[in-house]
Amino acid sequence: MSFLRELYVVFWKEMLLWINNPMLPVVRALVFPMMWIVIFGSAFGGEVNHIPLAVVLSDTSELSIEYLNALNIGTTLDIKNTNLATAQKMLKNRKVYGILYIPEDFSKKLAAGEKVSVVLSLDETTPQISSAIVAHVTSATQSFSKNIALAENRVVVEKNTLFGRGIEYLDYLAPGVVMMTILFSALFSGGLNLIIDREFGTLTMLMVSPVSRDAIILGKIFAGVLQSITSGVVALAVAMLMGVHLKSGAAGFLLMVLLMFIAGFGFIGMSTAIGTRISELEQLMVVMMVLLMPMWFLSGGFYPIESMPDWMRPLAIVNPMTYATDAARSIMIRGIIWETLALDLVVITTFAVAMFLIGSYSFKKTLGGVK
Amino acid sequence: MKIIETHELTKEFNGLVAVDKVTFSVERGEIFGFLGPNGAGKTTTIKMLTTLLLPTSGTAYISGFDVVREAAQVRRRIGLVPQRIVLEGDLTARENLLFHGMLYGLSRRDIEAKIPELLELVGLKERADSKVRTFSGGMKRRLELVKVLLHEPEVIFLDEPTVGLDPQTRRKIWEYIQILNRERGVTIFLTTHYMEEADYLCNRICIIDHGKILDIDTPQRLKDKIGEGDIIEMEVSGKGEKFAQALEKECGCQIKKMEENRITITARRGEYALKEIFFLADKLGVEVTSISVREPTLEDVFIHYTGRGIREELVPGSGMMKYLTRRLKQ
Repeated sequence: MSFLRELYVVFWKEMLLWINNPMLPVVRALVFPMMWIVIFGSAFGGEVNHIPLAVVLSDTSELSIEYLNALNIGTTLDIKNTNLATAQKMLKNRKVYGILYIPEDFSKKLAAGEKVSVVLSLDETTPQISSAIVAHVTSATQSFSKNIALAENRVVVEKNTLFGRGIEYLDYLAPGVVMMTILFSALFSGGLNLIIDREFGTLTMLMVSPVSRDAIILGKIFAGVLQSITSGVVALAVAMLMGVHLKSGAAGFLLMVLLMFIAGFGFIGMSTAIGTRISELEQLMVVMMVLLMPMWFLSGGFYPIESMPDWMRPLAIVNPMTYATDAARSIMIRGIIWETLALDLVVITTFAVAMFLIGSYSFKKTLGGVK
Repeated sequence: MKIIETHELTKEFNGLVAVDKVTFSVERGEIFGFLGPNGAGKTTTIKMLTTLLLPTSGTAYISGFDVVREAAQVRRRIGLVPQRIVLEGDLTARENLLFHGMLYGLSRRDIEAKIPELLELVGLKERADSKVRTFSGGMKRRLELVKVLLHEPEVIFLDEPTVGLDPQTRRKIWEYIQILNRERGVTIFLTTHYMEEADYLCNRICIIDHGKILDIDTPQRLKDKIGEGDIIEMEVSGKGEKFAQALEKECGCQIKKMEENRITITARRGEYALKEIFFLADKLGVEVTSISVREPTLEDVFIHYTGRGIREELVPGSGMMKYLTRRLKQ
């Protein structure tokens, strides 16, 4: 048999296998490429827009209103005109990304030909967003000056960062990577472990023993959570070695571990539920690509959700990874501010409890046999 | 009290009856075998007896405990060596035993104390601290056999204990099974589709096919049932039919099978019947081109009951059944 003929036989068998199992090739050949194009094409690098920014107008003169109108041009910012106390509350609750303070003597000073400063206080947790705000406010200020025929540099934007130092992309990325580590590790110690156990029959060993069924399930889940936390902590340590800082020190670290525990529980529950529905490793790979990759990429872990197109944002909003990543980022950059963390923690805990229940229920069901 | 007792035990998978009203009992200290082809319902029966599968109907008791209502009691009293090896390859032999013992609530110290003796029993003492993944198939089987002894079960279930092993290893495993049974007094329930295995090991054999029990008896009595004496197979040229009739009439042989010019008969004391056979052949002008005399085997018993050999794996439905059980397990 010639080499080409041999090559053809091997090739032909592989293609036959590929075609004979319709689900996998369809997903691999069609869904993956479409998904990647859409995700990478739209989720990253788009311009951020609709960023909520609070504007406090202490001066309500015509000039200030005109300045406000200049800020309002375009879709970059969603301006919320409010008083200082409300604005500060909104900033803490994550309703806005910053506050632009326009002083009482704004119009008076301009009329007198003096320089005037507006103060821009920024939550710089997401560097792409804070730089977009700065750019927009700066250019709005310039066009305002031009419109009323002022000399340049009469209105000065004074920047005020809330969390101490400039946040770099690595600081932004690290919390997402830590959570991704938890997600992937949970997949391996949840779903994958279950499939391997079943494939090699090691589950039988437990099933035939007098150990209670609940103990089997919980034992496996807890081991999985601990394994996930371990890899999460390693990822965090590596990030810190690379210069990422963790605000609130030891307390922040403990809260991160707690967050990893909660998220790990949820992800293990999820992957266990998937593992009980799947019998082959190859299928698990497909599920991983179809479910986990988007969970990761659409979580705001790489790029802010604000840069996604409008139709894609709901995907990020229903994605539990979004909240886990955001909580981790809040703890690491903003420190422990409970009002800021509340929403994330509530969502991720609810997710964890629900997934744990679903996962252990479906696990118990597939165990079969006598209860 | 009988150690295993079932009454009309039945398992259906989506309307397909895998085990059909099976009633039998096993005495303490016996080696009891389920003999049947693949897909006969052997593994399904073991799964019901070991609480891994809920019966559709019927009852089964292990040592007086109901396998459904008193599963926890049953589990404490049984050991299972499934068809597939279920050792953790990444753990050492010792660690595997430790884990197993701890599952049954034994203390670490008690287990450690038992390990050398158990490994000695199956000649694995030197390998106690090697990872199981480095073991050969036979070694893994041996380790499995003693692993289940750790919690001192009253009965051990062996599902196809020597499947996929070479003849020498198989023989070794048989010896170990006998040692366990004799020295430890453990009752052994095994399934097999190897006739020699059932014949060699079992005190009593239950022949099962398509989920139904065909007969239960000692190997010897099963073989006696198909007609006493030896089996003579021959190939003749010429008037085979007439020859066969003459054999039956004049030599007191029984015709078992006639296929063109191949004749299978049974005769008491086969060696002595040969003379008469050749004499008769000469008389009728029939040429015997080949002839063999052998003692009956369980294979003959199985053919007697089902009309086909146990190794013919073209059992319709068995593949489907495997597929279904797989689906159901998921």
